[in-house]
Amino acid sequence: MKVVVIGAGMVGSRLADELHRLDPSVEIDVLGAEPYEPYNRVLLTELLAGRADLSGLMLPQISGGRVHPGRPALEIDRAQRLVRTADGDLRYDHLVLATGARAMVIPVPGLRDGLPRGAHVLRSLDDARDVKAASLNARHAVVIGGGPLGLEAACGLRHRGVGVTVVDAAPTLLARDLDASVAGVVAEASADLGIDFVGSATIESVCVSDGHVTGVRLSGQTITADLVVLACGTVPDTKLAAEAGLETDRGVLVGHDLRTTLDPAISAIGDCAQTPTGTSGLVAPGWAQARELARNLVTGALIEPVEITGSAVRLKAVGLDVVTMGRRESSSDSHDRVVALHDRRARRHLEVVVRDDTLVGVTCVGAPDIAAHLSTQFDRPGMIPVDPLHLLLGASAGTMTEAPSPTTMPSNTTVCRCNGVSKGDLVSAWEGGATTVDTLAEKTLATTGCGGCTALVGGICDWLAEVDPQVESPASASVRS
Amino acid sequence: MTDTHCPYCALQCAQRLGGEPLAAEARQFPTNLGGMCRKGWTSTELLRTADRITTPLRRTDNGFDEVSWDEALDDIASRVRSIRDEHGADGVAVFGGGGLTNEKAYQLGKFARLALRTRLIDYNGRFCMSAAAAAANRGLGIDRGLPFPLADLQDGDVVLLLGSNLADTMPPSVQHLGPVRERGGLVVVDPRRSATARLTEDGAGEHVQLVPGTDLVFLLGLMHVVLGDGLADTAFLEERVAGLDDVRRSVAEWWPERVAATTGVSETQLRRIAHLLADASPHRGGRGAFVLTGRGSEQHIDGTDTVSAAINLALALGLVGAERGGYGAITGQGNGQGGREHGQKADQLPGYRMIDDPAAREHVAGVWGVDPELIPGPGVPAVQLLQSLGTPGGPHALFVHGSNILVSAPDAADVKRRVGSLDLLVVCDFVPSETALLADYILPVTQWAEEEGTMTGLEGRVLRRRRAVDPPGEVRSELEIFAALADRLDAPGTWSTDPREVFDELARASAGGRADYSGITYDRLDADEALYWPCPGEGHPGTPRLFTESFATPDGRARMVAVRPTGPDEVLRRDAPVWLVTGRVLEHYQSGAQTRRVPQLNASQPRAYVEIHPTLAHRIGVEGLDDIRVTSQRGSMRAQARISKDIRPDTVFVPFHFADEGMVNALTNAATDPISGMPEFKVCAVTIGRSES
Repeated sequence: MKVVVIGAGMVGSRLADELHRLDPSVEIDVLGAEPYEPYNRVLLTELLAGRADLSGLMLPQISGGRVHPGRPALEIDRAQRLVRTADGDLRYDHLVLATGARAMVIPVPGLRDGLPRGAHVLRSLDDARDVKAASLNARHAVVIGGGPLGLEAACGLRHRGVGVTVVDAAPTLLARDLDASVAGVVAEASADLGIDFVGSATIESVCVSDGHVTGVRLSGQTITADLVVLACGTVPDTKLAAEAGLETDRGVLVGHDLRTTLDPAISAIGDCAQTPTGTSGLVAPGWAQARELARNLVTGALIEPVEITGSAVRLKAVGLDVVTMGRRESSSDSHDRVVALHDRRARRHLEVVVRDDTLVGVTCVGAPDIAAHLSTQFDRPGMIPVDPLHLLLGASAGTMTEAPSPTTMPSNTTVCRCNGVSKGDLVSAWEGGATTVDTLAEKTLATTGCGGCTALVGGICDWLAEVDPQVESPASASVRS
Repeated sequence: MTDTHCPYCALQCAQRLGGEPLAAEARQFPTNLGGMCRKGWTSTELLRTADRITTPLRRTDNGFDEVSWDEALDDIASRVRSIRDEHGADGVAVFGGGGLTNEKAYQLGKFARLALRTRLIDYNGRFCMSAAAAAANRGLGIDRGLPFPLADLQDGDVVLLLGSNLADTMPPSVQHLGPVRERGGLVVVDPRRSATARLTEDGAGEHVQLVPGTDLVFLLGLMHVVLGDGLADTAFLEERVAGLDDVRRSVAEWWPERVAATTGVSETQLRRIAHLLADASPHRGGRGAFVLTGRGSEQHIDGTDTVSAAINLALALGLVGAERGGYGAITGQGNGQGGREHGQKADQLPGYRMIDDPAAREHVAGVWGVDPELIPGPGVPAVQLLQSLGTPGGPHALFVHGSNILVSAPDAADVKRRVGSLDLLVVCDFVPSETALLADYILPVTQWAEEEGTMTGLEGRVLRRRRAVDPPGEVRSELEIFAALADRLDAPGTWSTDPREVFDELARASAGGRADYSGITYDRLDADEALYWPCPGEGHPGTPRLFTESFATPDGRARMVAVRPTGPDEVLRRDAPVWLVTGRVLEHYQSGAQTRRVPQLNASQPRAYVEIHPTLAHRIGVEGLDDIRVTSQRGSMRAQARISKDIRPDTVFVPFHFADEGMVNALTNAATDPISGMPEFKVCAVTIGRSES
């Protein structure tokens, strides 16, 4: 079988890898438009923040098959099952579209005729490197779009010392993912980092002078800026599919089996695909589709429909911790339990939504440890605490530890774990005449394992000498004299 | 007074035996620093246990009859012959143990190959060290648990301990962590706030309480941060390591936020620990850092890959072979190290030689005085071996030495069925363990205080075990049993019963191998020389620290291996919504066959228990001292609840030293790591409920 994959991004390359692992005899060609080997697009803002370099973005080499970076597909000839490229045609038995999505550019004056210098989208490796380079000399940046990408970019730029204003048509940050009161906490935490936010903004134009941006004009104010980052969403890349006569809507239309509606020899996965449940924009569903499709192509196994959940944000931003998955207060059903802890002044908000016996919603701001724990409990079949409040306490559920005191510890408390010696055993030995650490050790074996309890046994010794001074032995007498 | 070492774990605490009745006391030694846990202090009780076996026993319809050695050995030999006639040489199999002395382990491998002529030999070390061994071999070219003396830990700034609870399993070793704790550098990775995890409290370090079975993802996340934040020792990697590019790519898929969602370890904690490790590394001015793995991170279907990820991390930070620092596996069983070097493993010959290597076969055959053609090829790993017992094409006779597979093997109920289907089961033991009680013959053998020999501790240092008392009754050493059966089976070669002679032969057989003992003698050991293998030649001082100059690979460079997580084998389901993890308690050793017979230990810990978080206990209506029933796809067990916030709320913990209704290995998963054959003891999905007694 010959499989051609158009798109060498995270999902296209994963499909090739899975295919080869399942059946090394499948011939696989992966066509990439960008001049790079497959890389991790999720980490572009990490590159901007300086927490990853170029080599750290490169994905594992696929186990088999050929990747052709810088060899974009130009046309699909469905009748002959060919993909045309500048370097010749590729025949396919099955074609997989993994063309991803393009960054949206808002149609306002200043951006209509291509991007001026200083204005960038943030979709490809080249984009991220351009923004990073621009940030070296930039004094103030405007990020258009207060979604996850915009906020990550804003934090990355701020981390590099650039002043940042985020503007969005929505009244709040992360408006699609957070309820307003929670978004307020995020806005305050961002402000603490020095990131301004202008919500409910109407962008009238991007100001350009000598081909370079100088600011962003909103209705009511103009923000001076020498760098503008557009993070206002993406559109599935359906161009090739549409030109080949395939059905497209927002994305390339496919069934639950990921086959295009008009041509079963062609599938679409990842950001470019529109399944009956919608389009995604996140990598996890794309990877799941890649796995399902690979298995289906090799074994004929039925494809499990991949759930495309609405919301799943796990912000990668220096200084800002936001995690949200699934339901939240505003999207909960009337019988869901919603338990929240709102701690605005500490820039913290925790919220869980429990439906029957399952955690169906998690929102955490400013609480990374609990966010990590709740992520592992999300949508887990099974055993939610009877009182969902306990979920907010994290994995250790608020364990408190107290240093043991010789005076107050109960008699049956183990002092020496290695030899199973309790405080009571030591008291008996003391009463039997062992009144030094050494003689207590000889009598009870306490301290003779790892020695970790030596100080505590000494403390018990001192305490007993104080409360029980009538016991006199040569050793203790000499200690006191 | 006799100076020897404790009979139990791989720390091999130095002890002195003397007095009447015989008692043990701790002795100064660099590993135990004069300490000994209560298992060691009470060890001589086992010499006096009431049900000690002192004569050969033969199964009858209603128990066992005492028989003479000759009667037992004659009958065993004749039944081996007839099973061999019917099923071929592989109709007979051998299962060894990591508690056997080097001499016995060596002779057992030879006995299997030359006397039984079977390729089917493996041992319980497969359940302990196989994953770490496979990863060390492919990454560093050699497998010595700790490639540095244990005391080196005192000099580091950070010790990262993955899946080891050494405060319970080898308490005196904790002394070596003292200085690191004072510097705030102990990091313990465990789903449980174990005794060891508690050592991180009060500023001594950090406890990472991850989701069971996600150690590998956690390690990939650490590596992601180390590479992403530019913390790696690039000069070291350039000069001494291969494979960085593939590893870099493999961790590109595991950014901290994704790691957090899988492991439950927040990105902040992950980054903090990565930086802590890096700052402790010599190339960034630190005193050194150690990355250590234990069974908790190794007993998984991706156990080898997990250890490889740990080795990759240590290599990236330039720790391996540095003056202070490195990667090490904490060996479990008393001779878990030596036991895996001298031919008990299905695919190995003495000296850590591979059995399919023609040169290795020729060398060993030369020492044995036989034609290399006579040595069978590689057998199969332990789980596969046990699963094939009594099946068509599988072995129909089994010799068991130093192992209690009915309690210690995964999916133990199935092991019992398999063992029950054998035509002949011969168990060498000194107490009637659960496995021995199923035997056709129980052959009584010596205990540690009754025998001479050597053990190789967790650091690769060879230690002398010495005889303090005469064995009771008709008890014999395995060496005598091997010789007697070899004779009856007309085996070629010589079969010494003198441990010193067997050791000298072992040393010759190991010469030139990866674990080269050829320069080690009883005389040198008795002169208190600290001999760490490799020790090639009489004048050689031994090798306390490996890798200082180069790695044991063909080109001398260490190999980073790119890995990806595949486990756990089982996922949580609605009808099995809780993780089960297993482990040990301080009072017991392995299957408990020995320690459950020591009154002081048994009184303190007589039963299994189910450690459970209060919210989970509340959820299933368990309180106080109720019993809990835990059930997996394979089996079920029952034990008292121990309600504690030390365990994650999605996980229960059960110690595995117990038999009967408290036997947790009836539940554990026999799915194995494809590389090492290590079973996935450490995580499976279970359902739990209050148990009405």
